[in-house]
Amino acid sequence: MFNYIIKRLILLIPVVFGVVTLVFFLVHLIPGDPVEVMLGEQARAADKEMLRHELRLDRPLMEQYRLYLTGLARGDLGRSIHFREPVLTMITRRFPATILLTLAAMFVAILIAIPIGIVSATKQYSLIDNASMFFALLGISMPNFWLGPLLILLFSIQLGWLPVSGMGGVEHLILPSITLGTALAAILTRMTRAGILEVIRQQYIVTARAKGLAEKKVLYKHALKNALIPVITILGLQFGALLSGSIITETIFSWPGIGRLVIQAVNQRDYPLVQGCVLFIALTYVLVNLTTDLLYSAADPRIRIGRGGQA
Amino acid sequence: MRFLYLLLIFLFAFAFACGKQPLPTETLVIGIESAPTSFDPRQATDAVSSRMNGLIYNGLVRLNEKGEIVPDLARSWEILDSRTYRFYLRRGVFFHDGTPLTSGDVRFTFESILDPATSSPHRSTFEKIDRIETPDPLTVTFVMKEPFAPFLVGLTLGIVPEQRTSQSQKALAQAPVGTGPFVLSHREEGDTYSLSANPEYFGSPPKLRKIVFRVIPDNTVRFLEMRKGTVHLLLNGIELDYLPLVRQDPDLRLVSGPGVNYSYIGFNLNDPILKNRTVREAIALAIDRKSIIRYLLKETAHKATGLLSPLNWAYNGRVKTYAYNPAQSRALLDEAGFPDPDGRGPRMRFTLTFKTSQDELRKRITAALQQQLKEVGIGIRIRSYEWGTFYGDIKSGNFQLYTLSWVGVTEPDIYYYIFHSSNIPPHGANRGHYRNPEIDALLEAGRRETDPAKRKEIYGTVQAILAEDLPYVNLWYYDNVAVFSKNLHGFVLDPSGDLFSLKDAWMEK
Repeated sequence: MFNYIIKRLILLIPVVFGVVTLVFFLVHLIPGDPVEVMLGEQARAADKEMLRHELRLDRPLMEQYRLYLTGLARGDLGRSIHFREPVLTMITRRFPATILLTLAAMFVAILIAIPIGIVSATKQYSLIDNASMFFALLGISMPNFWLGPLLILLFSIQLGWLPVSGMGGVEHLILPSITLGTALAAILTRMTRAGILEVIRQQYIVTARAKGLAEKKVLYKHALKNALIPVITILGLQFGALLSGSIITETIFSWPGIGRLVIQAVNQRDYPLVQGCVLFIALTYVLVNLTTDLLYSAADPRIRIGRGGQA
Repeated sequence: MRFLYLLLIFLFAFAFACGKQPLPTETLVIGIESAPTSFDPRQATDAVSSRMNGLIYNGLVRLNEKGEIVPDLARSWEILDSRTYRFYLRRGVFFHDGTPLTSGDVRFTFESILDPATSSPHRSTFEKIDRIETPDPLTVTFVMKEPFAPFLVGLTLGIVPEQRTSQSQKALAQAPVGTGPFVLSHREEGDTYSLSANPEYFGSPPKLRKIVFRVIPDNTVRFLEMRKGTVHLLLNGIELDYLPLVRQDPDLRLVSGPGVNYSYIGFNLNDPILKNRTVREAIALAIDRKSIIRYLLKETAHKATGLLSPLNWAYNGRVKTYAYNPAQSRALLDEAGFPDPDGRGPRMRFTLTFKTSQDELRKRITAALQQQLKEVGIGIRIRSYEWGTFYGDIKSGNFQLYTLSWVGVTEPDIYYYIFHSSNIPPHGANRGHYRNPEIDALLEAGRRETDPAKRKEIYGTVQAILAEDLPYVNLWYYDNVAVFSKNLHGFVLDPSGDLFSLKDAWMEK
């Protein structure tokens, strides 16, 4: 297991390198000039040149790339062109808010999806099943930018229970996490339901029932554990979707996370900031996937990774 | 399951750790679209930063609601000759850190702007300064290299203290020190910015204890915060579709007034079709501005006759205007050699590319313009780009038609920057490549002339010629629209959209 983790961590290096390279050239390829955006057009050509020189934007692209990589190797993500602050400081200030929101959304999704999935599966084709599948469909189809304001209208304006936007106590977290987590909840509900339906027809479940075990025990002890394996995989993969979805949710709910920072950075052509943010998001995504893989093998002892067993 | 419980506990703990105290009632909360970029007035150019810096700093002079120059840190000034300005500073003005304001601070502010190392975007405004003299701590003299009338308006820029900034320029952007009625007391970068009243302010002390600026990027959410009463003031930050709802809400007040932001359609005069003045006139006549103002802008704009609004001292209203007249527009296009190939049928006389940003309202306006131009047989391909790309194209002259606004138009010398032939990009904003020696001569004279009456005459002629030549189609002046809580009193809407009146405003409990 330890060797496996080390191996996976080493594999991170080419992934990160790939992400850095791709993002670096992509942001430099899009039209627009950060110096123009920053100094405004009234600035004199000489001043623009000077700033360009200061920001090293006057050097050949390959040299900029080399300088960026050298900085990165030292843990230096550069300075934001627009805010004139170290990118790392800006990201670390904002990143916890994004992680909090993403985890909360995931938590909401699990909290909704697994019980509903179980009930749906055990009462297949019942009214509850049909209703929950309908809501699952609705949940997948509803875009964040629509669901968010709708929830605000109901819970903040009409009922007055929750704050509209911003970051503060737990009450501030509820609406954004539901908004962000709904689509995931819908997917997970369907996955849990399908997983249980599949497992419940397996012979070992028949055996468990034949042994005279209570239905609850059969369900929770024998069926659920196996049914959840694909759910865990999906959770890991969906974490990335949540991270990118948080960009919209953060904008709606004025949540001071990294998503809003990315949008602002792209608009201002703040190259180092865009690169830094994307790098952080990519790293998180890769690390979460690694964790999922590890959880996956822990949840299913049949899987023996790195020992020539089935994967 | 245990994992879930742990996650739950972690989330609650984390969320509580981020918790905030409720706001006291003497606090005014203002919703803003984006975060300010700099608290150093020498660096800031965006509207949000300018509004906040306007409360933290004072300039030597300021503009009143009529756009006239009135004293601020300078109690008076005299123009010794066309190149020399002398300012007498107020006595007993202190910076937020307790140091007294002196002429040295004034000199430092402008010298540091002129220092290339500062890379200040405001440098070009002051490059005509030859030297700054400080004969005594309360007198400062500016000597210009040549007569340059627009200089006075530039002196609205906030004065920064000398001692602090010489230590570190960055410190000022982080912890601003001004002489203004409010002090930046707390900030959550990108989220909230709190200003506290400065009891030592040289004018009457502010009545509000605190002003909190909250960044709320989403239009709908900003309005919903307002309805819930958690935001008390939105200035030009409201989606116009919500105005009917504001009018119905007994807890909200709506005030609008003429502003100094001007919207236009720009032509590329190097384009083989658009270099023809008759075609430009036909386009101007084909545009029904009244309908757009009524249906899309919800009557929050007024038809424009030129860059300068009627609020401006140099405004000339007696210029050629182009009222909506599609029949005449069609006749002009025929005359210009662009007959309609199939009468009122689907084929167009010619098709132009019209660039705009991705702002929703802008896109809707462009679609309306497309429809109106189609009526006279001009096809329009709309290209809406994300801001950086759009602006890049406009600056490099890569367009046929585009629509944009000039914001905060106060000093008529802006014409020099937009229409003088020396300002054809890359070094200016004459993006349409307009060339007219008569205009060039007038604009040069206008910036050298220090007598306001003569300047007014010069710029009056400039406005008349441009209305005739049509390098731009004038669209409208946007009104300033403020929505605020009925508990806020004393707020006065300023044409430039600044928030200085908040110094005397108060919140009813």
